[in-house]
Amino acid sequence: MTQTLQVLLFGVALGGVYALMASGLTLVFGVMRIVNISHSALMIFAAYIAFFAFQNYSLDPILSIFITMPVMFLMGVAIYKIFFSSIKSTERTGELTVLLTFSLALVLEGVMGYLWTNVYRSANPSYATEAIFFGPFFLPKGQFYATVLSVAIIILLWLFLKYSRIGYAIRATMQNQAAAQVVGVNVERMAMISFGIGIALAGASGSLMSYLFTFYPGKHWEWIAILLSLIVLGGMGSLAGALVGAFLLAIASALVGYHFGPTWSPITFFLALFLILLVRPQGLLGKKMEA
Amino acid sequence: MTILEIDNISAGYGSGPNILKGLSLKVEQGKTYCVIGPNGAGKSTLLRAICGLLHPRSGRVTYKGEDISKSRTDEILMKGISFVPQDRSLFPDMTVKENLRMGGYILKDRKELDQRIEKVLTMFPILAERSSQHSKTLSGGEQQMLAIGRTLVLQPEIIMLDEPSLGLAPKITQQIFEMVSFLKESGMTVILVEQNARKGLEYSDWGCVLDLGTNRFEGPADTILNDPRIQELYLGKRRNNGQEGAE
Repeated sequence: MTQTLQVLLFGVALGGVYALMASGLTLVFGVMRIVNISHSALMIFAAYIAFFAFQNYSLDPILSIFITMPVMFLMGVAIYKIFFSSIKSTERTGELTVLLTFSLALVLEGVMGYLWTNVYRSANPSYATEAIFFGPFFLPKGQFYATVLSVAIIILLWLFLKYSRIGYAIRATMQNQAAAQVVGVNVERMAMISFGIGIALAGASGSLMSYLFTFYPGKHWEWIAILLSLIVLGGMGSLAGALVGAFLLAIASALVGYHFGPTWSPITFFLALFLILLVRPQGLLGKKMEA
Repeated sequence: MTILEIDNISAGYGSGPNILKGLSLKVEQGKTYCVIGPNGAGKSTLLRAICGLLHPRSGRVTYKGEDISKSRTDEILMKGISFVPQDRSLFPDMTVKENLRMGGYILKDRKELDQRIEKVLTMFPILAERSSQHSKTLSGGEQQMLAIGRTLVLQPEIIMLDEPSLGLAPKITQQIFEMVSFLKESGMTVILVEQNARKGLEYSDWGCVLDLGTNRFEGPADTILNDPRIQELYLGKRRNNGQEGAE
């Protein structure tokens, strides 16, 4: 029993980090219907920033979010300006964005491999090897910090969307773009800002990834598969859905890993993806989409 | 006094053909205008061109002597022209109150905005009652009220309604038209596009018949209502058999 609860605790802790990773992806989809295949490649890019900042300047990977988030925000805005503003109103925008972000992921992978080679990396701050105890249970300290930080960032994001003026405008654009225009929202600007925020969230995820997981340029394929299955399960474009999907699948994969061995835990995501697409393609909290 | 002048505008979507072809119209302050015409005549396009959702390819739109044909929608809203689109265009997962708040999105003063929202809520008791409900849970008539109420947050001088009675039951339609009268009585200039042309004209001072992107006829609403040619062509009046034989 204690063992199972311990595994559950690992699952929940990991779920918080997954939720942060998925939140940016789902926000970008929600506002612009862009399936950003390059989301995880950008996460890896940010992980390299955090890794080298730690390696060369001993900057704490957690504190590195103050660098990765603004840098990645600007990078997101630039990517949006260069690639997306020109294709937004063509007929096949949906398919185009998938191809575009797919190629962006490939280019990023290539550039990162060229610059930093394909060696496995992981930052090792002191807390990466320590544990924190809760009665009979424990969590690696780094994991605990990462989860707390992830949840805090998600809460901030939610408050921003719920109460700020720009947050209102972003939600309005998500819900009804035509109506948002009628009340005077600059929809194009909101799309750019949300893309920036989405990529800034990838930046924060990268900072955490730099010490939680080992990474190398090609690693982003595994991550994007996981993240897409999380947000498809929860309902694409729904922030709450991303949270539900992240926690459910992180817990499920932790349990599967415990009972059947760690080689089996990745399959949890894809099995869940197949099942949800068969049973409820719009996801748990998603809305049915018009054809 | 002429408040809005549309001078020979042509407009269309993307790289498509012109929907409006050299249309002109003068709008007098405080009057209600009903724009009628067959499908595809350019009625909605005209409203979109006035409020900056679509920029005319040529010609000018002048509001109080100022050329607004190149202005953005938020600038035009700020000047006092509001638009209620055909599908009511609400934010389904926002509450009634949040929808009203979006109506005042371009206002930066939060206090002022709160006051204006309260004012709209006192005008529409049904919306006040449902103020914390998501707008998707409202009935069709309530949604239309909300869409109109949302524009009133900005206290516009001109309000443009695109087929406000579309898809509503006759009793509710009646309420919407009474709303139109109320807007006129409060001093607003109303431009109404109506599929229900007869009803729309009854509640208007001036009627214009659009066809193929131009202003085919215009005149006092009752003249238009009683003009036999217009009745035949645009108001769907059936000729009786005897007359038909005579023609």
